[in-house]
Amino acid sequence: MSDHAPLLTAVEGDSGAYAEDGTDLTLIHWMLDMTPGERLDVLTSGARSLLSLRRDDALR
Amino acid sequence: MTTPSVDFRALLERLRDDGIDFIVVGGVSAVLHGAPIVTFDLDIVPSRSPPNLDRLHSALLELEAIFRDPAARKLTPTRSDLAGMGHLLLRTSLGPLDVLCSVAEGRTHESLLPKSTIMDLGGGLSARVVDLDELIALKRAAGREKDRAALPLLERTLEETRKRREG
Repeated sequence: MSDHAPLLTAVEGDSGAYAEDGTDLTLIHWMLDMTPGERLDVLTSGARSLLSLRRDDALR
Repeated sequence: MTTPSVDFRALLERLRDDGIDFIVVGGVSAVLHGAPIVTFDLDIVPSRSPPNLDRLHSALLELEAIFRDPAARKLTPTRSDLAGMGHLLLRTSLGPLDVLCSVAEGRTHESLLPKSTIMDLGGGLSARVVDLDELIALKRAAGREKDRAALPLLERTLEETRKRREG
């Protein structure tokens, strides 16, 4: 708990992590640090991963 | 049960290799601009020139494209489907592909061309992608709830991109 508390305090405060509308700016910055090709591959990997999780859940 | 295939890179390479002129729009274009979202289909707006539609139709047949039909019928897209102005929501061997013959308020490949950019996607692949400010305009013009819901994230992505450019 003590390990996580400072992080939570940082993101909940006026840290610039969120836009006024609640958008998570840290994820946008993470994506903008990548090349378009890396973004494409992250998207494909993420989509495949989610589909795989859906399949695993359906098999239970 | 097998996991459905999704390979955006392979799908883009296939369309490129077959000499098809198209513009990437929708969720994949948003991701290529840096929006942190997940999507499962590739949306393209093809050039409406007859030779291009011939090439696209051949490619779709080779990709075993069928409509994502709610009634689960195996309907193959025809050449005349591509000549219309509608949306062909397809499943292919490389993943879902939406062929949008026109988009919001009748915009076509030709009208989107000046509002698009060729992006280097690495590995020798490049693709023409609608500009982020135009994608936002398309979402606004479409006016559907799901499009409006995507706007804040796209607008923040555009803002952050401009901040970086301005340094």
